[in-house]
Amino acid sequence: MLGMSRAGLAERWTLFVGALLSVTLGVALVQSSLLLLITAATLDPPAGLSAAARLQFADGTSAAVAMLGVVLGGAVFLAGFIISSTFAFTVDQRRRDLALLRLVGGSRGQVRRLLLGEALLLGLAGAGLGVPAGLGVMAVQAWLMRRFEFVPEGFAGQWRMWILGVSVGTGVVLAVAGVLVAARRAARVRPLEALRESGPAARVMTAGRWIAGLLFFGGALALVIVAPHGGPAGGQAMAMNVAMPAAVAVVAFAPLLVPLLARLMPFGGGVPSSLARASLRDARRRSASVAAPLIVLVALVVGNTGAGASFTASGIDELARSTHADLVIEATGPVGPAIAKVPGVARASTELSLPAELTTGSGDERETETVTALVIDPTAYAAVHGTAVSLQGRAVAAGPGGEVPKRGEVRVRLPESDLGSLPVVASVPETMTGGASLLLPPGLVPAGQLDDAAARSFVSLAPGADPAAVRDGLSRIGKVSSLDEWLRADAADRSSTNDRIMLIVLGLGGLYALLGVVNAVVIGAATRRREFAEARVTGLTRGQVVRAALLEAYAVTGAALLLGGLAAAAAFIAVLSTTSAVTGAATLDLPWPLIGAVAAVGLTVTGLTSLITSWSATRRPPVTLLAVRE
Amino acid sequence: MTTTMTRAAAAVTLHGVSRVFGRGPAAVRAVDDVTLEFPRGGWTAVMGPSGSGKSTLLHCAAGLERVDTGRVMLGDTDLTGAGDADLTALRRTRIGFVFQSFNLIGALTAEQNVALPLRLAGSRPSRSIVRSTLDAVGLADRARHKPRELSGGQQQRVAIARAMVTRPEVLFADEPTGALDSTAARTVLGLMRAMADAGQSIVMVTHDPGAAAHADAVVFLRDGRVVDRLAGAGAREVADRLAAWER
Ligand SMILES: Nc1ncnc2c1ncn2[C@@H]1O[C@H](COP(=O)(O)OP(=O)(O)OP(=O)(O)O)[C@@H](O)[C@H]1O
Ligand SMILES: [Mg+2]
Repeated sequence: MLGMSRAGLAERWTLFVGALLSVTLGVALVQSSLLLLITAATLDPPAGLSAAARLQFADGTSAAVAMLGVVLGGAVFLAGFIISSTFAFTVDQRRRDLALLRLVGGSRGQVRRLLLGEALLLGLAGAGLGVPAGLGVMAVQAWLMRRFEFVPEGFAGQWRMWILGVSVGTGVVLAVAGVLVAARRAARVRPLEALRESGPAARVMTAGRWIAGLLFFGGALALVIVAPHGGPAGGQAMAMNVAMPAAVAVVAFAPLLVPLLARLMPFGGGVPSSLARASLRDARRRSASVAAPLIVLVALVVGNTGAGASFTASGIDELARSTHADLVIEATGPVGPAIAKVPGVARASTELSLPAELTTGSGDERETETVTALVIDPTAYAAVHGTAVSLQGRAVAAGPGGEVPKRGEVRVRLPESDLGSLPVVASVPETMTGGASLLLPPGLVPAGQLDDAAARSFVSLAPGADPAAVRDGLSRIGKVSSLDEWLRADAADRSSTNDRIMLIVLGLGGLYALLGVVNAVVIGAATRRREFAEARVTGLTRGQVVRAALLEAYAVTGAALLLGGLAAAAAFIAVLSTTSAVTGAATLDLPWPLIGAVAAVGLTVTGLTSLITSWSATRRPPVTLLAVRE
Repeated sequence: MTTTMTRAAAAVTLHGVSRVFGRGPAAVRAVDDVTLEFPRGGWTAVMGPSGSGKSTLLHCAAGLERVDTGRVMLGDTDLTGAGDADLTALRRTRIGFVFQSFNLIGALTAEQNVALPLRLAGSRPSRSIVRSTLDAVGLADRARHKPRELSGGQQQRVAIARAMVTRPEVLFADEPTGALDSTAARTVLGLMRAMADAGQSIVMVTHDPGAAAHADAVVFLRDGRVVDRLAGAGAREVADRLAAWER
C-alpha cells in the first residue's frame, strides 16, 4: 500500500504540494509560538534591577506570555483547520481514483489505509520541513515582539530539543486526524463511481457537518450570550473568541450556503457566465471547500480587529465621560501637596502607581500575580472619577482593573516592603480601559518608597482662575496637558497598542490562512483539466473556459467574503452587548480600510490563482487530455 | 452469500431481476424482471438500443449494482445479499472488468496496473505472471509505459490484462471496443475470442453487431427486458435482428 501511496503522491503532485505546504507552515507556526511562549514564561529579569523594576519586568513578561498564549491558540486552531480542510479536500477530489481502486478489488480498509498512509508521509515530510521553517517564523515573531516593546531588547526564542517531538507529532497528528473523517467517507465510495465521468458528488451535507455546524454554532451563541455578563476583561476575552467557532459553524454549513450566495452574485451574460453558474450548481462541495479558508480568514481578521478597535474606542469614550478635571500632570513622587499649593487649583487627585505582588486566596486556591497599585486621596479620586471610595487605615479597595476580589483579604508585597494581609473594604466599577487593580489609602505605604513612583494628577481649576497661569505654575512640577490633550494622547496610545497586538496575534496567522486560500483554489482546479478540455472540444475557446473559471472563483470568493463577514458579525453582537453592559454605551468601531483591504486581497488572490491555474490547466491541446481515459 | 454443493452449469444466473432508478412518476425501470443464464465457458453479447438497460444489467450481474427484486448467482454463490467485504473478495478473485473508458490508474505503469489486483489481494505478484499476461495481450514491450504513453487500443489491452491476471471465472466487458477504431477493435475482439475458446466465460455489452458476431450468443434487450436471443449468428444477421428491435 505504501508503494501505491508513493506513486499517488508523485502523480497528483499539485494536490499534494498544497497539502505539504499547509503542514509545513502549520507546524512552523505552532512550533514558533510554543517556543516563544516557553521562552517568555521562563524569562529571568536581568541582574542588577531594582526591586520595583523587577516587579515591572514580571508584569511585562506575564503580559507577553498571555499574548503568546493567544498567538499559540490561534496557531493551533489555524493549523488544525487549514491542514484538515486541505487534506479532506484532496481526498474529496480523488473520489474517482479511489472508486477505481475499489473496482479492481480494493477493500474499504485498503482505501482507508492508502489515504492514512499518504497523510502519514505528508505529515512526516511537512514536519521535517516545518521544523527549520519554524526557526525562521520564530525570528520574525520575536522581532515583531521586540520591535513593539512587548518583550525586552535582546529577547529571542530559545530552541528546546523536545520541540522536535512536538513538531513531528503536530504534523503527523493534524495530517492524519484531518484525513480520518474524509478517509472514512471515501472508503464508502461505490466502485461504480469510477465509471461515471463525474460521479454523483458525495452527499452535500453529511451528518458530521450538521453536528459540527450546530455544535460550533451553539458555542458561538453561548459566548455571545455570556459575554456581556463577564465584566470588561472576561467580556472582551469572550467577544474576541466568538469569531473562531462562528467561522467553523459557517464553514460546516458552507455546502449549503456558498452555492446559494454565489449564485446571487451578479454574473453578466454570455456562455462563460452560464457555464460558471452551472458548475457552481454542480460542484457544491468543491465550492464550499474553496471558500472555507477564506471564510475563516475574513472572520478572524475582520472579527477580531473590529472587536479590538471597538473595545478600544469604547474604553476611550468611557474614560472621557468619566474623568472630571481640567488639567493632567504627569510627574514623579508624592507631588500632591505641591500641586495643592499652586494658586488657582481647586482640587487635585494625585495617583501614585507602584507595581505590587498580590496574593489572593489560600491553600490550593492561592494565586500570586503582579498588578498595579495606586496610592490615592479617596475624596479627590471620587470627585475626579465620579465613583465613591472610602478608605482609611489599612483598608484597601478593588480598583478599576479588576483581578482583586471585591471583599475579603489580600496579601500585598510592594517592591521595598511587605504590607502583609490587608482587608478589601470597597471597590470601584471595573472599566473597559482597566488600570490599577488595587487602590491604597495614603499613609499605608512608607513615605520614602513613593519617591520614584509615577504620579498622575487630575486638577480642577478654581472658578475664575486663569488656566494659563495655573499651567505655568504646575509646569514646574511635571508635564502639564489639558484634559483633552491628555485624552487624545492616551487614545492614540491605546489604539496603537491595540494595532500592534492585532498585528502580532493575527499577522502570521492571516498569512497562513491566505496560503490556505491559494491552496484551496489550486486543489479545486487540479482535477478539472478534463472538464476544461471537454468544454473546449464542445466549442469554447480557451479564453472562454478561463473566463468561466474566473467568474466561478469570483462568485465563490464573494460568497466567502459575505459568510466570513457573517461570522465576524456574531463577534460584533458580543462587542455591542459587552460595551453596553460595561460602559452603558454600545460601541462598534469597524476598521473599514482594513475590511476593504481584506476583501481586495481575497478577490485578488483567488482571482489571480484561478487565472494561473485555469490557464495552465488549458495549456495542452484538449485532445491530448481526452485521449487518456483513466 | 450462500454456497450450495451442486455445481451450477451457468457462470451467472439472473432470476427475475429488476432495478428501478428514482421513484414516483420519474422512476425508470432500467432492468425489468430479467431471467437469464450466461453459460460457463461461453461468450455472450448483450445488445439493445441506447438506454435499454444493458449497462445496468451488466452491473447487476457483476454485483456492482444492488438489485431491487430477484436474485443474482455467480456460479453457485448468491450475490443478492452479499456484503461489501464479500463483493470485494469476489472482485479480487472471481470477476474481471473491462470498460469502455479504460479506467487505468494514470500514476502507474502498464505493468503496475496489471499487478494491482494481485497486490490488492495481498499477494506479491511474480514478475513472470504479470509479464506473461501482458504478453498474452501483445504488450510485453510496453510494460513500463504509463497509460498516457499508450494508444487507446493498447490501453484497452492493458485493461484486459488487468482483468485477466486474477484468472477470473467471468469477464464482464461493457463496450470494450466502444472507444477504439476498427483495427484496434479487431485485435481486442480476437483476444477475447481466444480467451473464450480457452474456456473463459465472458459477458459483453456492445452496440456493434460486428463485435457481437464474435460472441457465441447474443441477447437482445429493450426497455429493460430480454426480447430475443440468437446463437452462432454472423454480423449481418445480428445487425438485421438489432434493426428489427430498434424499429
Ligand atoms: N444511476 C442512475 N440513476 C438514474 N437512472 C439511471 C442510472 N443509471 C442508469 N439509469 C437509467 O437507466 C436506463 C438504462 O441505463 P443503462 O446505462 O443501463 O443503458 P444502456 O443500455 O447501457 O445504454 P447505452 O447503450 O447508451 O450505454 C436509462 O434510462 C438510464 O437513464
Ligand atoms: Mg451502457
